[in-house]
Amino acid sequence: MQRITQTIRDGVGFDVLLIAFALLYLFAFAGAPILYNVILSFQRVDMFSLGSLFHELSGWENYIAVLNDPLSRTVLWNTTIFTVASVSFQFVIGFALALYFNQKFPGATWIRGLFLAGWVMPGLVVGVLWNWLLSGDFGVINWVLMSIGVINEPIFWRSDTDYSLIAVILANVWYGIPFNMILLAVGLAAIPEDLYEAASLDGATSFQKFWTITLPMMRSTIGAVIALGIIFTLQQFDLFAAITSGGPAGSSMVAQYWSWELSFRQFDFGRGAVIAVMMIVVVLGVAAIYVRSTREETRL
Amino acid sequence: MKRLTLGTLAGMLMASTAFAQDITLTMWTESSNAPESVFAQEFSEMDNGITIDVREVRFDDLVAETLRAFATRTNPDIIAIDNPDHAAFASRGAFLDLSDLIAASDQIDIENYFDGPRSSLTWDGGVYGIPRASNTIALYYNKDMFRAAGLDPNDPPSTWDEFYEAASTLTDPDNDVYGVAFSAKASEEGTFQFLPWAQMGGGSFDSINTEGAAEALDLWKRLFDEGLTSPDTLTRGQWDSTGTFNGGNAAMAISGPWELKRMASDAAFDWGVTLLPTREEGGERASALGDFNLAIFANTEQADAAFQFLEYYDAQAERIWPEFTRMPSKKGVALAPTGDEKIDSAAPVFVEQLQYARNRGPHPEWPRISKAIQDGFQAALTGQADSKAALDRAAENIERLMN
Repeated sequence: MQRITQTIRDGVGFDVLLIAFALLYLFAFAGAPILYNVILSFQRVDMFSLGSLFHELSGWENYIAVLNDPLSRTVLWNTTIFTVASVSFQFVIGFALALYFNQKFPGATWIRGLFLAGWVMPGLVVGVLWNWLLSGDFGVINWVLMSIGVINEPIFWRSDTDYSLIAVILANVWYGIPFNMILLAVGLAAIPEDLYEAASLDGATSFQKFWTITLPMMRSTIGAVIALGIIFTLQQFDLFAAITSGGPAGSSMVAQYWSWELSFRQFDFGRGAVIAVMMIVVVLGVAAIYVRSTREETRL
Repeated sequence: MKRLTLGTLAGMLMASTAFAQDITLTMWTESSNAPESVFAQEFSEMDNGITIDVREVRFDDLVAETLRAFATRTNPDIIAIDNPDHAAFASRGAFLDLSDLIAASDQIDIENYFDGPRSSLTWDGGVYGIPRASNTIALYYNKDMFRAAGLDPNDPPSTWDEFYEAASTLTDPDNDVYGVAFSAKASEEGTFQFLPWAQMGGGSFDSINTEGAAEALDLWKRLFDEGLTSPDTLTRGQWDSTGTFNGGNAAMAISGPWELKRMASDAAFDWGVTLLPTREEGGERASALGDFNLAIFANTEQADAAFQFLEYYDAQAERIWPEFTRMPSKKGVALAPTGDEKIDSAAPVFVEQLQYARNRGPHPEWPRISKAIQDGFQAALTGQADSKAALDRAAENIERLMN
């Protein structure tokens, strides 16, 4: 008995305990739900049978139904466009802002902090705001674009199938910029000043310094920011709910919103789970990149 | 000493509340201004030991939220639910069969309700609620704009062709005026608005792809293509769309009697209401039967108290029209004058239109049937398919759901 308490207080037992707690936590709050989701995707579940423990098995039926759905191709395409466009614009603009505020002018850090104001707002609030800005008949964005002569006719951002996805991308880019900027600013601050000083002595131009010092030194940060950006973008739900609801006619439907719609609007939990499973696979891939880039960071 | 006094005070308070409110019921509804919310407030203030907590749930989320709650057994005791969604719950045993309670009741007699609302809440011989009210849609029009455009304000459009002509004449982009405001949103509201047009064209929810229904959809499409309605009609609900009519940005609007009160106070012009235009002169009339039912959940522990509230609600039938401009579902209740001339002259139009109102369903799969209809008209309106093809596909999906 005493040996057991001994090993728990100071020894292998303590390590085992630590590992066990961490694993238990992971299993209860991440592993089990994911596993349950995978099981759901092979079952026939509607709202009235959701409460029961066992459901009718359906084999690959849900997967086949989702892949054969005429909407699936649109969704795949839209999700790709939404993710690539959101992440690239967020990153480029965020990086530009981070470099800008790295110039150490009076109040730079202070103003940079203010940029976070947008990011801390709840997604639904941001969505409602953009909903008004993007309104077709009386929206501010149309008014501005028409006043400066970019367009002659108002664009019906939310109702025009050619623009609905762009409308959500616009809002999401705005929403994600501060996050990208802050993380990249932290990375920039971590680059030792003497590297730039040495480069200056050697007569390097600003562009050369950026290309040969900043970018290589930022590689792991950039990897992490982009990986997190992809994950957050794939999680973006509120803006769709507030601005287009995936419409009109599915023109702005993306995987995450479709999964929710199948589950909680059409109450087909099996199919909703199928999409979630597919997204987990993608996110796991991205997460692997993220883990790799942060591991390199610690090696530095 | 001070703590002691506070503690005693709290104890006394708790004791007195426990005494005055023996039973607390919960009710979910779409609006705290709706009749059931107002009546629940009155009912709670009565000296009957029953309190009703009302929770407002957004209309678009009501079914999903309720199903989720029911699955986890955290549902309310009473719910006000849109009538086409009633069957899904009733058929699965989620709602309490009130047959016995009604048989013993002096207040509620199911035969007193009109056939439409009654059939929406009966399932397989059981009675699963009482109707809250009835409503339907008709055509509102701005008489001042009719005069200005040289149209006769006392002869509003009565056929689809006349309706299109009027919308075309009244559209005035320079002054930000669209011909007509309605809702083609991908939600139950869109189905509610489209189905009557399909029915006037000889269709119904289980045969949505008739030639006449496709013709109706072509007419809608023309309104979009020629800019006679705002493109946002695709994404806007009826309340917001009619708001643009009240603001003078649309010359006509298709909506229901729930708009009357706001319109009477907001619209700074002369307006009237007329029946929905038919396919041709003297053609088949149709309209949608709307509004909610009140139901009690089968797993409630306070069925008697909840039923008492339903009885109280039923007893207030005369107040439904003058106070809420909703139409009573109970036979023999005249629409009492409200004192507002425009609302009072709209009353007979809605009464007549209600005669042609048809149920959506009842069918347990209604939410998905409705979704198929929405996908159909939205596909056509956004140019993804022509009207007939879009409705053919909707019909195919609906047939699969019904079998």
